[in-house]
Amino acid sequence: MNNGFSIIGKRTALVDAAEKTTGAGKYTDDLSVSGMLTGKILHSPYPHARIRSIDTSRAEQLDGVVTVAIGKDAPNPFGILPVGHDEHALAVDKVRYVGDNVACVVAVSEAIAEKALELIDVDYEVLPAYFDPEESMKAQADFIHENKPGNIEKDYHHVFGDPGKGFSDANQIAEARFIAGEVTHAAMEPHSTLASFELDPHTGKMGRLTVWSSTQVPYYLQHKLSLVLEMPMQQIRVIKPLVGGGFGGKSEVIPLEIIAAVAARKARAPVKITYTREEVFWAHRGRPRTIVDLKTGVKNDGRITAVKARVVQDGGGYCSYGVVTILYSGALLGALYDIPNIQYDGYRVLTNKPACGAMRGHGTVNVRFAFESQLDELAAKIAMDPAEVRRRNLLMPPCITVNGLRVQSYGLPECIEKTVERSGWKQRKGKLPRGRGLGIACSHYVSGAANSIIRSDMPHSTVNIKIDRDGGVVVYTGASEIGQGSDTMVAQIAAEVLGCSLGRVRVIAADTDLTPIDLGSYSSRVTFMNGNATLRAADEVKKLIAAAAAKKMNCAPEELIFRHDVVKKRDTQAGRDGTGATQEGPSVSGRVEGQILRGSLQQKRKEEGPKDWMSFEEAVVAAIDFHGALTGTGSYAPPPEARGGKHKGGGVGPSPAYSYSAQVAEVSVDEETGEVTVHKVWAAHDCGRALNPVSVEGQIIGSVWMGMGQALAEEMVWKDGMLMNPGLLEYRSPSSIESPEVEPIIVESVDPEGPFGAKECSEGSLAATIPAIANAIYDAVGVRLHESPFTPERVLAALRAKKKEKALNLTEGVDPTDPVRFREHGGSLCFKSRGPQRHALDPAHRQAPASAGGAD
Amino acid sequence: MSLPEFRLLRPHAVEEAVMMLERHAGNIRVLAGGTDLIPSMRQKLFEPPYVVDLRGIAELRGIRRQSDGGVEIGALSPLSTIERSVYLREHFPVLTEAAGTVASPVIRNMGTIGGNICLDTRCLWYNQSLAWRKGCGFCIKKDGDLCHVAPGGLKCWAAFSGDTPPALLCLDAEIEIASINGTRRMPLREFYTGDGIIYRKLQSNELVTRVFLPAESAGYRGVYRKLRVRGSIDYPLAGVAIAMKRSNGHVSEAHIAITAVNPAPLLVKGASELLAGKMVDEALAEAVGDIAARTAKPLTTSALTPEYRREMIRVFTKRAILAAAQN
Repeated sequence: MNNGFSIIGKRTALVDAAEKTTGAGKYTDDLSVSGMLTGKILHSPYPHARIRSIDTSRAEQLDGVVTVAIGKDAPNPFGILPVGHDEHALAVDKVRYVGDNVACVVAVSEAIAEKALELIDVDYEVLPAYFDPEESMKAQADFIHENKPGNIEKDYHHVFGDPGKGFSDANQIAEARFIAGEVTHAAMEPHSTLASFELDPHTGKMGRLTVWSSTQVPYYLQHKLSLVLEMPMQQIRVIKPLVGGGFGGKSEVIPLEIIAAVAARKARAPVKITYTREEVFWAHRGRPRTIVDLKTGVKNDGRITAVKARVVQDGGGYCSYGVVTILYSGALLGALYDIPNIQYDGYRVLTNKPACGAMRGHGTVNVRFAFESQLDELAAKIAMDPAEVRRRNLLMPPCITVNGLRVQSYGLPECIEKTVERSGWKQRKGKLPRGRGLGIACSHYVSGAANSIIRSDMPHSTVNIKIDRDGGVVVYTGASEIGQGSDTMVAQIAAEVLGCSLGRVRVIAADTDLTPIDLGSYSSRVTFMNGNATLRAADEVKKLIAAAAAKKMNCAPEELIFRHDVVKKRDTQAGRDGTGATQEGPSVSGRVEGQILRGSLQQKRKEEGPKDWMSFEEAVVAAIDFHGALTGTGSYAPPPEARGGKHKGGGVGPSPAYSYSAQVAEVSVDEETGEVTVHKVWAAHDCGRALNPVSVEGQIIGSVWMGMGQALAEEMVWKDGMLMNPGLLEYRSPSSIESPEVEPIIVESVDPEGPFGAKECSEGSLAATIPAIANAIYDAVGVRLHESPFTPERVLAALRAKKKEKALNLTEGVDPTDPVRFREHGGSLCFKSRGPQRHALDPAHRQAPASAGGAD
Repeated sequence: MSLPEFRLLRPHAVEEAVMMLERHAGNIRVLAGGTDLIPSMRQKLFEPPYVVDLRGIAELRGIRRQSDGGVEIGALSPLSTIERSVYLREHFPVLTEAAGTVASPVIRNMGTIGGNICLDTRCLWYNQSLAWRKGCGFCIKKDGDLCHVAPGGLKCWAAFSGDTPPALLCLDAEIEIASINGTRRMPLREFYTGDGIIYRKLQSNELVTRVFLPAESAGYRGVYRKLRVRGSIDYPLAGVAIAMKRSNGHVSEAHIAITAVNPAPLLVKGASELLAGKMVDEALAEAVGDIAARTAKPLTTSALTPEYRREMIRVFTKRAILAAAQN
């Protein structure tokens, strides 16, 4: 199992576990600098309005208020994608969703800042608003962004192979509309940013800027700050303290990060802004509500002949990662199964709601729900076992898919085999008591994007290593630890390569002044890319040490083995005690040898003549004496072969390696209430090689759990642009009670290009959970759910429809005075009224209310 | 979100507390466990100049058996204490079961029985931050003049969402209310008004101090069934409590109450009559379920659709009756 490794492959506690679990660790909101003020953001009460004027004078006069920043203080647009620079730190001319950022009060306390928000007078001209993507696409005027006619952010139309022929070759075709509700990350830590300027000693003006922020992408933040503040990047330092979860919600520059800096500049004092939970929901960037019209054809032998998908994503008011999301939805129809013909039409649509962005399983999850559900329907049509139909469509790697994705390592067959075996699929499927069922589904994900979102040829990751005479290994990496374990991964790889103990390695991460550029923690790129860069940096240092040590030992460097804090000649039994030094960290004697007694010991050694082995410290000291400074650097860029096809939009989807997952879910359904209980999920995940199995298992369990949340309960519910559940009480992520037993099964396909063969393990498992549960519900009670989440009322409505019992009508209101539809905009609980009415207390009252706009 | 500024008063006796209520009537809120009040104050639903913290009043804690077999429960008794009371579990099981479903263990350690009885009515258009409510133009319950749930109506439909009151209604509980004029006792079933705004009959200078369970209610079999999306944390989206006594397999007496589907917890009228003297079977349970569902008037004040929630009152009532007849 260990494959001769001494560090990797072992169940290793995360290096930051102690500070996190004891509360000693510092997250951004824990930080404080002298003279620090609090920032509070004024949000738009309208879904779509033009700002005629903003008067901040009353707010500024309030005792304790230092300044109020507004849009014109920093009018440069920004956005995470070069094609999507459509956001402003604070609204310049328009607001585009309820919650959009209008002004920022800087005050001595949060309470005063909140009071001051009430005193800002904004004159709005209310515009018609769009809440439903399919309605929004029909808009003729009042576009959300002037340069996006029809409110379409981007549409793509791809044809690979000959879908027409594919469908005519099929024996069975299924066609249906699937809808997946909008979900958000709900990371534990709300976003927080602290921005502080230094005075320039030469000019006395505001000089360098330091920003501490809860971000997955410090480098992009540095870049966007430079753009908006019109400061050179080298004058901006971004530091990422501990981050309490991201899941994609911190993988782009969030408005408060820029606002804090703008406010600090205007206040001439450090400013910290921490979002309330409600503001986190408004900042959003989660998974869009997605309408998938899917058509799939199969032959009687189970082979898929063609897939046609039309995908409409309700993207919200700004581009965010939207263009990438809609491309992932199409591109990752490929690379899981062997599909010869694919037609894809994707529409990313703007609506007057918070922007959707990247969320765990970016772009793939909702389409995977539709596809895996439909594949089960087709299996039933051709009377084939659902596990078998998936086996019939496996790729034969190494290969390049019809849409240009290169697949090398491919653990999917083993994933299917193991979940089927462990779940007792063959013996139990279809034989469980009524109301209980099993469902299977598969999924996959990229191990980092082969093409970066910024147009640049620079490496995607660079890592520096420094070893000093004390024998301590310091790794400088731009990788952002957000709870996923990247610091531990980096330490493990460095320690494995250098043959030293883990305790010797210190990781300095995600500080743009200290660490080389890394694109950040998103698209599951860190282990693959930063891991490879770490491996190369460590190899470089190792070569330097080996050269010096070999000289001391009178042998060739290639003959040396680095292991257990000892450098020794191959085939030599001797370590310090024959088996090597302690694995617990540098020994006291080691430190003494390395630092104080080094001279005399070396003298002694010299008299004894060349030896078969040296301690790590001795080797390091020898190397420094021989070479001078002992540093190494390594970088990683994906190989050209992995960068995908040349078609428009072909840059999204290609990855140096793909992870694979297969899952079986066992559920029961209460046929009287529609309540679904997930009893157990067997989840196999091919992560290439598990560098830290306990970490991999944690990611698999977390993915299943998050997928289950989307499958059963989580949904952002809208009413005329108002988010009805902007908090963790009403946005129902599962509690520990609903959490099923998850049996994680690690499959190691050992990728030829991954660091020690590793691939991603954090995202790929999520997408399989939703269709596995859907398929299990079908197995249990025979209803096919086309809309997620599978709330009890949706399940019950489907059950009643199937049994032709009294319909449970989810679209007719029970309002005694005005019975109207109350299910709209993807929500399931609100009915339509006549649009927001304004009350006299509302400072915006003087403006006539908007009609409900295009959604009517 | 910051807490609004207020002066915290910390009395050590009921007399002291009611003096404070009298002096600051209309400008003061009562804090017992704080699990409902504090979030609401952050959302600026209440901005009282004074808050009276009852937690120093020792006499309002504890469960005491009375000589006649009844029980007196201090209003400050945490829900977790009630949930774990062996005596209550044995003699008034519907109450312990309902108490055990409130929110989460942490909140049950903080929240009190008095607070659960006095729980403010809830609505998606009401339990939101000030900035949010501004976005919707406020609502009739707070700062506004229209109801988003029943547009055109002048009534507030915010739902009463306590778990223990339906159980207490089934047990024919009484509450003690104190003011500077002394104490009075009131049957709990007369406490609620059915209006979402002024949802209880409690003057601004009054305090709920004790709950009494009559001796006659001891020994009823009890069941509480709660609809919620999650098995923890959530308020009820619909709740049914039943207390039932049988002799020779026949129901001698039964009370059913529902919660979270009206602005008040309600005893289901006609249920007792329908059940009395009968053997419980599926058809009977279903018939009672139909009555309960007709009593329920859920609107879009919470998650899940009203029609579904009313259906679940029907199903849960049926199930509760069958379960009570079994155990």
